[in-house]
Amino acid sequence: MDWTNVLPARAENSCQASSLDFLMAVHRRKSPSHLKTCWCVWVLLGGFLNPTSAIEASADPVKDEPPITPAAREFWAFKPLLRPTPPSILNPKLARNEIDLFFQANLETSGTALAPQARPETLIRRVTFDLTGLPPSPEEVREFTAAIQTYEAASGARGPDPYTLLVDRLLASPRYGEKSAQAWLDLARFAETDGFEHDAERKLAWKYRDWVIDSLNRDLSLNEFVARQIAGDEISPEQAAATGFLLAGPDMPDTNFQTERRHLLLNDITSTVGTVFLGLTVGCAQCHNHPFDPVSQADFYRLRAFFDNLPPLKKDQQLPAAMAEASNAPAVSVVSIRGDYQRPGPKVEPAFPRIADDSDSSLAFASLPNSSGRRMALARWLTRPDNRLFLRATANRLWQFHFGEALAATPNDLGHQGAVPTNPALLDWLATEIPARNWSLKAIHKLILTSATYRQAGNNENRPTSHHTEFARRRLSGEELRDAMLQVAGRLEFRGGGPSTRLPLPSDLAKSNTNKSKTKDQPPLTPNCRSVWIFTKRNEHQPLFDLFDRPDGLLSCSRRNETTTAPQALTLFNSEFSHGIARDLAARLLQTTADPTELVPAAPWQCFSRAPTAMEETLGLKFLNEHGRLTSDPTETLADYCLALLNSNAFCFVD
Amino acid sequence: MFGTKVPSSRRGFLQSAGVGLTSVALAQLFGSGRAFASPGLQKETQFPAKAKRVIWLFMHGGPSHLDLFDPKPELIKHAGKPIPASVGKFDTRRDVSKNPLMAPVMPFRKRGQSGIEISDFLPEMGSLADDLCVIRSCHGDSVNHPQSVYQMNTGSTLMGKPSMGSWVSYGLGSENENMPSFVVMPDPGGGLKGGPPAWGSGFLPASHQGTTLRPGASPILNLHPTAGMSSERQRDTLDLLRNLNEAHCADRSDDSSLVARLQSYELAFRMQSAAPEVVDLSQETAATKKLYGLDQPHTQEFGTRCLLARRMIERGVRFVQLYSGNSNGWDAHDDILHNHGPHCRATDLPVAALLRDLKSRGLLDETLVIWGGEFGRMPMSEKGKGRDHNPWGYTTVLAGAGVKAGHVHGTTDEFGLRAQEDPVHVSDLHATILHLLGMDHEKLVYRFNGLDQRLTGTRGELVPGILA
Repeated sequence: MDWTNVLPARAENSCQASSLDFLMAVHRRKSPSHLKTCWCVWVLLGGFLNPTSAIEASADPVKDEPPITPAAREFWAFKPLLRPTPPSILNPKLARNEIDLFFQANLETSGTALAPQARPETLIRRVTFDLTGLPPSPEEVREFTAAIQTYEAASGARGPDPYTLLVDRLLASPRYGEKSAQAWLDLARFAETDGFEHDAERKLAWKYRDWVIDSLNRDLSLNEFVARQIAGDEISPEQAAATGFLLAGPDMPDTNFQTERRHLLLNDITSTVGTVFLGLTVGCAQCHNHPFDPVSQADFYRLRAFFDNLPPLKKDQQLPAAMAEASNAPAVSVVSIRGDYQRPGPKVEPAFPRIADDSDSSLAFASLPNSSGRRMALARWLTRPDNRLFLRATANRLWQFHFGEALAATPNDLGHQGAVPTNPALLDWLATEIPARNWSLKAIHKLILTSATYRQAGNNENRPTSHHTEFARRRLSGEELRDAMLQVAGRLEFRGGGPSTRLPLPSDLAKSNTNKSKTKDQPPLTPNCRSVWIFTKRNEHQPLFDLFDRPDGLLSCSRRNETTTAPQALTLFNSEFSHGIARDLAARLLQTTADPTELVPAAPWQCFSRAPTAMEETLGLKFLNEHGRLTSDPTETLADYCLALLNSNAFCFVD
Repeated sequence: MFGTKVPSSRRGFLQSAGVGLTSVALAQLFGSGRAFASPGLQKETQFPAKAKRVIWLFMHGGPSHLDLFDPKPELIKHAGKPIPASVGKFDTRRDVSKNPLMAPVMPFRKRGQSGIEISDFLPEMGSLADDLCVIRSCHGDSVNHPQSVYQMNTGSTLMGKPSMGSWVSYGLGSENENMPSFVVMPDPGGGLKGGPPAWGSGFLPASHQGTTLRPGASPILNLHPTAGMSSERQRDTLDLLRNLNEAHCADRSDDSSLVARLQSYELAFRMQSAAPEVVDLSQETAATKKLYGLDQPHTQEFGTRCLLARRMIERGVRFVQLYSGNSNGWDAHDDILHNHGPHCRATDLPVAALLRDLKSRGLLDETLVIWGGEFGRMPMSEKGKGRDHNPWGYTTVLAGAGVKAGHVHGTTDEFGLRAQEDPVHVSDLHATILHLLGMDHEKLVYRFNGLDQRLTGTRGELVPGILA
């Protein structure tokens, strides 16, 4: 690489520190490929690299911009997206669709095979949680199991596969949008307050959340789903809410440094757009060229230039809920030297990151009366059917949505520091399938869900051997736990869009954690609504969600951590919420029977969506017979049984 | 390859690094144990640690270095006049730069053999001057509270980075698996500017976030079941749960996340007895309680939390943070005397008691105590008797493990406006604290969004001048 005008490493003043801060990185002189393989080694060895090595940043990042070499374009994610031909496999009967051919072919190279297909009751619980975030009811499980048995027993002409019908039914349910929106809201660092000192409420932020849910339910085509989040206001005023995506991050309206505020906001928008839509950590290039990927500092500010027409921010005024430009006169965009807004460098024009684009055509903007048209041009480029990074990033996320682990395990970073795909051909094929299926997200979901790969058994049915793979179990999220508990207790309330439901915090927490509440919270109208409708503050988190790894809405989150802690156990076992749920479930069960031999299986049917195992039944009966000595009445005894079930791994995990 | 269980990327990494899955999963329960530490920290520490644990007394709102720890004769001499133009431009929060200079509102005097000058606001801490390491040249980057609270805690003026306690928990874990490794005791009045993200774990796993603990019968949220559940009844229900989980695990071979969850309930149960024991002050002598000022109304509250801090570090909690100051706190815009007077009266004796107690129990040698706020205050007055925020130069006091005692490090300029000699940036302070704990701040890293993230970001240099 051609580096000149290397500046000293130390940040010299405050503004640099805060923007430099995004980096928080090792900026080393070793070549990227070397670093990548040696990262683990050097950490383990205590670091062989010179800790005082300078961050190399140019005083003229445009003049000094290194060209994209042909070799750089050879990296898997940057290669043109070609449609691979599905491979042939030894036993074609294993495959239900092309996904299985790719998947099985990969397995064959290591001498393994797809696991047998999961049992109906496993499958319906898996896919129902997957698409709706809720457990199937016992009746749904019984019906489905019976339908599968009839279907498999039938010879000759058969109707459609009951499982496919089930997938269709779930995708058509409004619960689908409510569930799948959360993954997108995590990516969008969505919350409904500013954060920082005052954590002021954003009164209209819910409109973006509602737009996401509604769009997913209506199966708005993916290209439009993305385009509207970048430039909805340039399409029509009704679509402006979608641009809440750009403005969803934290903000400090009362800062003394309004120029810095704007600079940080634009950098946040640019970084988020880069990582979400391109799987490229362009944010690493705001102070100097990207240390690992072929993204120059000039690339970063050219991408930022698409957003530079953002109207001026005013002190003490919150960000608007949606994007709107003040005029169509294009803003002048410059590179900030070393990421310092007080050091404007050379001018740049809007342009796509060079590594992601090799079209020669020059950019033309169709400006509107009050808008530059720049963002629309970006949106249209992002959603071109040959945009390799966008399609790979999206296909990768969709895979993760159903399997827990993405094909390339770092969905927000497909660059040199990210994970390499375990099955590149499958990823590319799936990526090309998105435009081929008219950008329908539901069509891609269905494709994945009806594959034999998705329908594999987990290790509850499939004793793992060296010959089989298995479906990976996952723990429910905090939101799913809450929603499922409300559902089994018969308390879950369904509500539509509109301003969020304000769920009070436990009083202990509210007292010690936060500013004195300026507005008195009214008791919520639908306190038992699904979690996605609950008002989200940046500085104050619902403990159940917080403990179960919900991200804090500050940075784009492509994959949640999965921790297991004792405070989780305390909350799930001791909280007033859990005890209330257990009591309600007990009362609900007692409405139909008081016979312990019926109650013992009835509770697991509700909680696990299946019959208890023989061992579970024995344990339950023994408990109901003996626990009564410690409780005041049979309802309490039954409630304790339900509490144990709701805390059990059988409830909290999906096989 | 998909199809094998990889519940978290971290575990996946450790698996490939040859660390047993089960041990990692178990260690994850409280962020405890070395297996979960940074890959570079699988030894106990990177190099011998002077400090095993930290107590951080956070004076929220910005205590005035000019009235407490940093005497400026020039302020007395030039009181009432504007600061000379020769100091150049500087940012302030409330546009006070042209206001008249204000003399310290309390006299300073030399203390102890070291002769460190400390004002009469803090006679008790002053009497321990020979144990203190007074850094008079700290500086940060923002004139705003929340940004400075975040920077002091997380190294960044932006929201969302892991706090130092989380990094230490991640790097070292807890010495007591029945207690969290990072405990926070907020001011009972609440109102920290910036809120709980100040002790959040950011992109680190949630198991490293600060656990808030309150004095009293229910120190941790949901520590005990809701009213009416006897401990026998709870134990019996937990036994059913364990049996159900064991049967479930037996049907699903070798899944460490299932085993970890099963174990988490046993830990939670042990914590139910461990945590109340920590906050049970009935085991303390009357003399100790008196030492901390529990017998006096103005020191009782903060004294209780200081005593709890000692009890926690005795029981292996790695990092304890106490906040003094509700939503207004030490933020003396209107009147230094009126604001700092009560805050000093409430905290001076308990802080000194904590240091004396730690020393007499031999714990000060391995415990680092930090006293300070998110910034200091301006040399000129605001509204006549108050002072505005000053992040450009202020004092942080250290005491205990590995730092020089009876020592002053660095200076501010003649007016106390900016750090001058041996300036210590917040990130330098962080680097030095990690060093005292046996960790190199450049090697305590966590991979997130393609970068090896650090507490100190791209800054931070060890300050050898304060090391004993």
